[in-house]
Amino acid sequence: MADEALANAGLHFDDLNKIRVLEPEIQNQTTELKEECKDFVDKIGDFQDIVGGFIDKVDQLAKEVEKEKMKAIGSRNLLKSISKQREAQQQQLQALIAEKKTQLERYRIQYAALQKEEAEQNEFIEQFILNK
Amino acid sequence: MRLKTSLPKEPKHSELVSCVAWTTSEELYSCSDDHQILRWNLLSDETSSLAKLPNDIYATDIHFFPGTGGKAKQSQSDVFVLTSTDGKFHLISKSGRVEKSVDAHRGAVLSGRWSYDGTAMATAGEDGQVKIWSRSGMLRSTLASTGSAVYSICWSPDSDQVLITNGKQLIIKSLQANAKPLQWKAHDGVILKVDWNPVNNLILSGGEDCKYRVWDSYGRQLYSCHPHDYPIVSVAWAPDGELFAVGSFNTLRLCDKSGWSYALEKPNTGSIFHIAWSGDGTQVAGACGNGHVIFSHVIERRLEWKNFEVVVTSIKSINVRNVTNDAKEKLEFRDRIIKTALSYDHLVVATASQCYVYSTKNWNTPMIFDLKEGTVTLIVLAEKHFGIVDAAGLHLYTYEGRLISSPKFAGMRPDTLSSLTLSICADTVAIRDKTDEKLVHLFEANTGKPLESKPLSHKLEVMEVALDQQGPAADRHLAIVDKNRDLYLATVRNFGKPAKIVKLGNMVTSFAWNDTTNVLVALQDGKFTMWYYPNAVYVDKDQLPFHVKDVSDFGKNPTIVDFIGTRVTIRRADGALIGTTVSPYPAMMHELVGSKRWEDAVRLCRFVKDNALWSCLATMAAYDKELGTAEIAYAALDAVDKVQYIQHIKELPLKDVRNAEMALFCGNPQDAEGILLQASLTFRAILMNIELYNWDRALELAVKYKTHVDTVLAYRQQFLDSFEKKETNKRFLQYSQGVDVNWESIQAKIEMEYQKERGGK
Repeated sequence: MADEALANAGLHFDDLNKIRVLEPEIQNQTTELKEECKDFVDKIGDFQDIVGGFIDKVDQLAKEVEKEKMKAIGSRNLLKSISKQREAQQQQLQALIAEKKTQLERYRIQYAALQKEEAEQNEFIEQFILNK
Repeated sequence: MRLKTSLPKEPKHSELVSCVAWTTSEELYSCSDDHQILRWNLLSDETSSLAKLPNDIYATDIHFFPGTGGKAKQSQSDVFVLTSTDGKFHLISKSGRVEKSVDAHRGAVLSGRWSYDGTAMATAGEDGQVKIWSRSGMLRSTLASTGSAVYSICWSPDSDQVLITNGKQLIIKSLQANAKPLQWKAHDGVILKVDWNPVNNLILSGGEDCKYRVWDSYGRQLYSCHPHDYPIVSVAWAPDGELFAVGSFNTLRLCDKSGWSYALEKPNTGSIFHIAWSGDGTQVAGACGNGHVIFSHVIERRLEWKNFEVVVTSIKSINVRNVTNDAKEKLEFRDRIIKTALSYDHLVVATASQCYVYSTKNWNTPMIFDLKEGTVTLIVLAEKHFGIVDAAGLHLYTYEGRLISSPKFAGMRPDTLSSLTLSICADTVAIRDKTDEKLVHLFEANTGKPLESKPLSHKLEVMEVALDQQGPAADRHLAIVDKNRDLYLATVRNFGKPAKIVKLGNMVTSFAWNDTTNVLVALQDGKFTMWYYPNAVYVDKDQLPFHVKDVSDFGKNPTIVDFIGTRVTIRRADGALIGTTVSPYPAMMHELVGSKRWEDAVRLCRFVKDNALWSCLATMAAYDKELGTAEIAYAALDAVDKVQYIQHIKELPLKDVRNAEMALFCGNPQDAEGILLQASLTFRAILMNIELYNWDRALELAVKYKTHVDTVLAYRQQFLDSFEKKETNKRFLQYSQGVDVNWESIQAKIEMEYQKERGGK
């Protein structure tokens, strides 16, 4: 009974018979809550650290990726321009080849003319000998 | 032949180079869009900045006042014209000082060119106008106004016409206001550049249709190239007109004057906007789009003569190869080699300062002499001496290096002489006049004096001249090809009488004399013709001995390069060299007749059995008045009438009469009369004129020598009676009054004359 009267007055005794303002139950729960809260805060802190690290890593990766991407684009462009360069080079070489071809054709004609001349000369010599 | 190009690693200009110009053959000026004018010294390989133009001046064209390029000596007053995009042209001294700036056009001035004589300058602008300026930069006239920008202009060789580009068309406009301009469509794209060579009178054009074309001065197309990959932005003739250069994107091409390409270079230059040849024609400079100035030397020029092959391997060395024994010689020179010529057992090499004469028998010790006037533009070899043409004129030297003579005439322009308009033989020099192209000046080679008081005059413009190379000086002949491409033969030594000019053939594209005999070959209308004895036109036109060969395998428009021994070298239009051999018999015939071995000549003809050779012998014998041989030859040709006439001549008692009759036989009654009168055979002369029905002359002679007037009158009467006509000639009426015509006494007189002749024998 006395307990009840005390309780009504807002006073309680805990298990160790110490006088308390709060009910021992609530007291327990509060302490628990406090503990849990502390845990929670710690965990959140950990989480933040981890996420921060993750973000850094991702950023790094992004940068890396970006770099690689630029590299890829660069080399792709280079490739394209090389093929163009090759085309130009090819064109130049083609032009030079065409030039050499016409020169060859000239020499061929000259050669043919010389052969014909030789044949004519031989024929002439033969005729000359036969006539004598 | 090819180009040896040199391109520095780093461009000297920071922007594109728009134009270049040579001052001497070692110094070049270049203008660029970075506003710099650079001076390139090729000897020391240094480049210095001459001037920095204001930032609003972008140069478009640069041209030096004529007479400075390529000469060793220079005056201090050298100026050049620089045209710019701000519509002005600037006269700038050689040291880089702007002496005068003149507002010339609306929009950019695209080209400015001095005339060859330096009396005028023409500018062309984006506003489509062409203006003519005085030397000091005063406006004289606006020559043309076209609708579109005029990209390029050029003066004609005689500086009285201007060639203008107008879109796809070319216009030749005369400075005379009332002359009709010549205009033709030349390209399928806008024409960007033109050039007109003063030596060969050919026009070169290049345009956005990626083609270059060669034209003659009448607008006829001579060549059109295959399309290139990029537009042709520059073209330029070499000063001697034998070569030209073509510039395009990353492309520099060296071409022959007939259009085909010697060599192609693909330097990394961007577009070559402007090409300039050095005055000696050995180097080309190009203004490149990427700030470079490209320099090229023309090397590997190749000469062939008999068994020798000469190749200019580099700027200062020549390789000689004897093909028969494969002996090789390397000739080195101190200066740049400018011209080389190989013929008549000698190689003549002109460098920038000296002339070397090598004999083909000895390559080790050349004759060397100094050249006075710098750049040699032409070397022509003949049997005993050779001619060198430089800015001062023509000089003849022996192969020992001794100066013989320097033929010249008033108004001679040595810079326009080419191997077509100058001909040299052992005793004579022929030069075609440039101001009046109908005239050919003839000189005695040993003295340099004119042969006659007046130059040889032809009825049309003469395009080519060539002297025959052999035989006595009195028998010298000049072959002429005129504007209509007709071939004529003219006598050179006429001793005051007018030259006998006789037509040999038409549509002659190219011709050449043989180097050792007076045999002429020509390409006419797709046929190859060889005249065994061109002199025959003066002896007996019916028996002109020639031989025609079909030459379908020569292609279109072939040209004869040379005719040495029995071999004719011909260059096809595509540049291929082909040879053809001709019969050796005409040469033998010339040799036999030259040494008067008539029996051998007859035997040769009998051996060959060729009518042309018989006619050759017949005409040669007739020319030499060798009646026996002529009779045999004409008999072989079945020319009965001529045989009979020769027999008649043979029976004549007096030598002079025979000579006169031979002159008559050759169709020269005037000569015949001259011979008779000189031998005081008046009666014969009169009788000859009577027989030619040349009554007036006969009477004139009779009256002059007071003899046989009655004979003339009697024959005249007989002639009139046979046609039943009355005398109408006043002089005959006059003389017939006082003279009695008595046939018997006339016959007696004639008989007396014959008696006298026989007695005189």
